[in-house]
Amino acid sequence: MTGPLLYARSRALPATLAALAGTAAFALWAAGRLDAYLDPDRRVPIVALAPLLASAVIGASLYSASDELDRTAVHRWWPRRLGQLTALTALAALLVVPAVLGHADTFGPPAVIRNTLGCTGVTATAAVLLGARLSWLPAFAYVTAVYLGSSAARGRAATVWAWPMQPGAQPGAWAAALAAFTLGAALYAARGARPEGVGG
Amino acid sequence: MALATEHVTEPAAAQRAPHPLRAEWVRGFAPWAGAAVLLTTGVTLWAKADQWQGGWSETAGQAHSVMLIALPLAAAAGCRHGGRERRRRTEELWGTTVRPPLARLLAAALPVAVWVALGYLLTAALAQLATWPYAQGDHPHLTLLPGDTAAMAAGALTGHVVGRAVPTRLAAPLLAMAGYVGLGMVTADRSAPGRVLSPTVGPLGVGLPVWWQPWAMAVWTGGLAVTAVLAYAARRRVTALLPLAAALAAGTLLVQTGNGLWHADPIARRQVCDTSLTPAVCVNARYAGMLPQVRDALAGITGKLRGVRNLPVRWADHGGAPHAGEAQLPGITPLGWSAVRGRLTDPEQFAWEAVAALEGYDCPEGPATAPELRADDAVEYYLAPTSAQKGIDEDDARGDAARRADLRERRAARARLAGTDERTRREWLSAYFAARADCDAEGVPAL
Repeated sequence: MTGPLLYARSRALPATLAALAGTAAFALWAAGRLDAYLDPDRRVPIVALAPLLASAVIGASLYSASDELDRTAVHRWWPRRLGQLTALTALAALLVVPAVLGHADTFGPPAVIRNTLGCTGVTATAAVLLGARLSWLPAFAYVTAVYLGSSAARGRAATVWAWPMQPGAQPGAWAAALAAFTLGAALYAARGARPEGVGG
Repeated sequence: MALATEHVTEPAAAQRAPHPLRAEWVRGFAPWAGAAVLLTTGVTLWAKADQWQGGWSETAGQAHSVMLIALPLAAAAGCRHGGRERRRRTEELWGTTVRPPLARLLAAALPVAVWVALGYLLTAALAQLATWPYAQGDHPHLTLLPGDTAAMAAGALTGHVVGRAVPTRLAAPLLAMAGYVGLGMVTADRSAPGRVLSPTVGPLGVGLPVWWQPWAMAVWTGGLAVTAVLAYAARRRVTALLPLAAALAAGTLLVQTGNGLWHADPIARRQVCDTSLTPAVCVNARYAGMLPQVRDALAGITGKLRGVRNLPVRWADHGGAPHAGEAQLPGITPLGWSAVRGRLTDPEQFAWEAVAALEGYDCPEGPATAPELRADDAVEYYLAPTSAQKGIDEDDARGDAARRADLRERRAARARLAGTDERTRREWLSAYFAARADCDAEGVPAL
């Protein structure tokens, strides 16, 4: 096996790919049950939750089983880490799009891609700060809280802080999600996931 | 002597060492799990505070609805904690202790269960405290709390067993997501079978559960959790059948009762009235404290209507369609729009809506004629002028010729109504409201 393949196996990428495919299948199945041809607002659960699930799957693969050994290597790790994160994010974004085709202005492909970027960014940041095992928690808490709590939110600020629930053409929400992804990708590429102790 | 005393006290101090299980309760993951529940549910409630702060029933409803997040979170916290011994590779070490597996499992699982339940209880208590200063009537609704708290603890216990049994990193996030999606689907789908078994389902609108519903829910969720724990760790697994039977009995009771689990809140059918005005002003007893504000908002209208006949008897707000001879008071609920934290947000708009209710907008729709619309507009402008109306006028003034002509006629009608003497205006308004009360568009007098 060559370097990249070994790297992929060491990060449990086959299992991650399978879980991402499962997420996409689940999103497709759920979208079929929603009957949202006329009313794209009914897709909000998929637009908000499918990227969240995909980001949890990606977050779980951001760990390193041999952190101390890794640091002794002569290779630079950041291109590999950045490649892993961006490739998985791009794949996840591609996979969840078929569930919400059409209605690009409201809750269609742009919104679900934006949410994938934002959720993965939050998850990657959490992996650096909390460790990969708990990396899903901040994004889960934030998105579910916004999902339940943002129905009354109005005004310009709400388009930023309630970004997972905004229509696809909302610039404030895109800015928030892209900022989250840039921060998460940069932090993860530079630092890697926080080493996991045996405790906790 | 002094030396001897010292020798005696030292072992006594050593005996006061903390209990071996204390660390499980006050350190490590369990308090953090409780804090995570408190933070997540607290932020959710804070974000939509306008919609519940000030109404006891709304507060109880929102505190119950955050179970949708809190319960998956509790299960995921338990699941993560359940995998601890595997991560630490201390399973074999635990196997050498004299304590039975059940005691070992409970020693680790109970702190998380209690802390997440406490986190939820604290959120609910804070929500009640936040409503208290703004409450305008009614009383705190705490009936659902026992069922919700028990469900939180049960979720954490079940999650712990899952975490012990399933050795994968994805177990906790998948449990959280599946729980959230599953509970969300069941809660949103009003026709889902066995819906009443979900601890997140609540009464529709302003409703109350029957007194035993929270306790049956506690037995249902708690019974299932204890079944999972006993089936996984008890020395005699057959004992798991006992809580399972209790859970099934409670579940059957819930399903059999179905929609009978909820009943309408009797206070929502009562209203508090000020009969010194004509028409009288009534607000629902749930927010009786808002009567003075509502009366002040409508005082301008009732003052101008003194001596006018054929008016509805009162603006009514008794939770159903207005009876004959009544006009519907503009909606104070749902909170967050017309009323926020016990205050009317826009008394001017409220007054305008009250005039619209007097005009009988619930008549069967017919093609409205231009003179009729002008009469409505003149009455609204005379009784309750609003800045929104001025905005429409200014907009029309910039519009095309037809809109400008319409505006000129509207303004002329308003001027005629305002310019006539008191007596003629009373007569005209009496005739106008008589036609409106009969839904008789033809009978609306000309201006």
